[in-house]
Amino acid sequence: MTDLVLTNRRLSPATKRTLSLFARYATIIGLALMLLAFSALSPKAFPTLGNFTNVINQASLAMIIAGGLTLAVIVGELDLSIGFAASLHGVLVTGLIVRHGLPIPAAIVLILLAGALIGLVNGLIVTKIRVNSVIATLGVGTILTGLSFAYSAGVPIVAGVPEAFLQISLGRWLFGIPNNIVIMVGVLGGLWLLVEKSAIGQEIQAVGGNPAAARLAGINVDRIKILGFVLSGICAALTGILLASRLGSGTTSAADSYLLTAFAAVFLGSATLRDGEFHIIGTFVGALIIAFGFNGLNIFGAPTFSQYVFQGAILIVAVGLSSLGRQMAEN
Amino acid sequence: MTLPFLTAEGMWKSFGGAQALKGVSIDLRAGEVHGLVGANGAGKSTLIRILAGLVRPDKGEIHVDGKLAAIDTPHQATGFGMNFIHQDLALVPSMTVLQNIMLGTAKKSRFGLVDWPTIAREVAPIAARVGIRASLDTKVRELSTAESWLVSISRALVHKAQLIVMDEPTASLSVGESERLFDIIADLAASGVAVLYVSHRLDEILRLCDRVSVFRDGASIDCLDRARLSRRALVEAIVGHRETTEAPIVRRRPEGAPLLTIAGLARRPKVNGVSFSLHRGEVLGIGGLVGAGRSELVRLIYGADRVDSGSMTLDGKPFAPRNSTEAYRAGIGLVPEERRAEGLLLQKSIAFNLSLANLRSLTLSSVLPIMSGRKRNELSRDTVRELAIKTGSIHTPVGRLSGGNQQKVVIGRWLRRQPRILILDEPTRGVDIGARAEIHRLIRKLAVDGMAVLVISSEPDELPDLCDRVLVMADGKIVSELAGEGISRASIVAASYADQAA
Repeated sequence: MTDLVLTNRRLSPATKRTLSLFARYATIIGLALMLLAFSALSPKAFPTLGNFTNVINQASLAMIIAGGLTLAVIVGELDLSIGFAASLHGVLVTGLIVRHGLPIPAAIVLILLAGALIGLVNGLIVTKIRVNSVIATLGVGTILTGLSFAYSAGVPIVAGVPEAFLQISLGRWLFGIPNNIVIMVGVLGGLWLLVEKSAIGQEIQAVGGNPAAARLAGINVDRIKILGFVLSGICAALTGILLASRLGSGTTSAADSYLLTAFAAVFLGSATLRDGEFHIIGTFVGALIIAFGFNGLNIFGAPTFSQYVFQGAILIVAVGLSSLGRQMAEN
Repeated sequence: MTLPFLTAEGMWKSFGGAQALKGVSIDLRAGEVHGLVGANGAGKSTLIRILAGLVRPDKGEIHVDGKLAAIDTPHQATGFGMNFIHQDLALVPSMTVLQNIMLGTAKKSRFGLVDWPTIAREVAPIAARVGIRASLDTKVRELSTAESWLVSISRALVHKAQLIVMDEPTASLSVGESERLFDIIADLAASGVAVLYVSHRLDEILRLCDRVSVFRDGASIDCLDRARLSRRALVEAIVGHRETTEAPIVRRRPEGAPLLTIAGLARRPKVNGVSFSLHRGEVLGIGGLVGAGRSELVRLIYGADRVDSGSMTLDGKPFAPRNSTEAYRAGIGLVPEERRAEGLLLQKSIAFNLSLANLRSLTLSSVLPIMSGRKRNELSRDTVRELAIKTGSIHTPVGRLSGGNQQKVVIGRWLRRQPRILILDEPTRGVDIGARAEIHRLIRKLAVDGMAVLVISSEPDELPDLCDRVLVMADGKIVSELAGEGISRASIVAASYADQAA
């Protein structure tokens, strides 16, 4: 008698199937329609290889941080610290190079480790002290912002950033593909392999899908959740580093807004191709939609306020679609 | 005879492949206590859930006060004057008795604020009538289970319920508390309320009920009135002349040193000093009433809870799992009672669910921990074939399977891993008879092949069909050990109730 499932919606199986199909492809159809509309409205500026490369290059950082967040939400938790963490990492990585004279690779490795450490702390607070992940990561994120101010006094670290560091983000690779895109593809590819194809990935999915069942099947639920936070932390660090390289400076709060973008991408993604299930490819598609949306707004010279409206609206639409998808799956 | 308050006619309902109701009917009159009995899986819960607006029937009509009633939501059910008191009471522990009684009822207000003093004055006589002794300001958290029941009944009365449905109300009540509840039920009926009383406890049914409906396998078998009501008539109707569909098993005697020994294991108040041993190759059953402490005992063995005192040895070595991962590593597998909530990922495929306990053996190589789709499909197809899981494809989401096939998936997960001890909690609850026999055969085979199997079951019929030895628990202690010829439905039931009579 404990599994009282509410089945109030009276839908025929055929209607359900159609709706479910529509829901799965709605985001992709939306993306296609948006691309068509922008191309029709601005045939010169929008549908060019240059613009597309540019949009994806710009979106790469959001995609990396959203990829990490995807891991955290797959294991059933939320990580609100990522934006603040990425800002701090941007400040620290430039600081390590400029102020402390560390070689660039050493600074990067240190920062990635710091990202993992922050994820570990998040994970331990959530699994061992059992603080709700929203509160835990919000608290940790706020502390990180404080640390960032303590280190830089809120003043951007600009002077003396070496050209080689800037080239990480500005450089191009084979066939002139921007480095950011290469790194993003590498990170998302790796995460996809981990989640979908590896043995640990099965455990990650099981922990998010039904922690009780996972525990009884011998899976160490706490460890998997911590792993989700650690990966989220590392991706946030990487985004912070790349942003500092792109901006040529370490600026307090520079990456804070990635938090909302990442959440919108992850939830849009969960409504893409699957019924409200978080997955890496979905996150990629979600981030693309947001990136092209902003690009369109820019090209048409939409005023600043509309960008905020777009950002907020897309977040709500994303979570709404994701939740609808899950209802479909349950009925 | 007056018009019935509620009639439900020709109710059909299937879940996935399983037919839960095959045209049951029932009519409930104002002022009567109407019993509803039937073995587990007979369809009682499904009917109640339909009446409560939680589940929609596939076919069938419900009339309330002679008018056709569509009950689509719990809210509408309340609107028709029905009130449901479930085993796990829908109360908010952190709120007071008064707040809980008034939950979901429009409250009187003055200047837009809830006028609690006036409400309290109105509720007080109702609370007194059902026998709530605690102050209305007491938090429900501080009440006993019995008093929580009384709060739920008060709420039904405040709602002016004309039908109150009680599901196993005495399952967690003491004898004295039950007596008080019976008085209240009689009082309710006398005041014109219809009471639908669902219980496995025939003594209570015989004592309380004016008429008793009997369900079996999703069909209405009989509706017995006072004149025809007797224990024998009820048992015959519940069991039917079911020739044991399952071939009798050859009970084996445990041999050699025990694999698992348990000495004085306790986690109060549910487990109060349990000792027994489990041998390789035997199926050991643990019977008893709901709430006797069996599931709590299993949680201790599986490391899900910590023990207060007592010890265990596994294969002669001390065994004290700190969490379920340790128990799993030590070679213990668990098929949980709540298979949907704790055993399966319903949206995921059969293959995904089957591979869960076997991930390490399904990778491309031990160095490269990438899942091998081929190995996984092979394992899944083998298991599906071996257990005769009825499905079109191994990629079907588990949630679409019938209860019996879902359970086979949970059990199938452990086949490849071959744990030393397999614990099954209510292995055939909600499973149809055919699948039940198959699951029983499978469990026997695992034991014959050398596994030690521990089966928990509330169905007295199940353990005789399955076990080499049976322990009966009551109040967190083992009150009886049965073996060989001594194992029967009657002996298990007698032992389960032995403690209560005292």
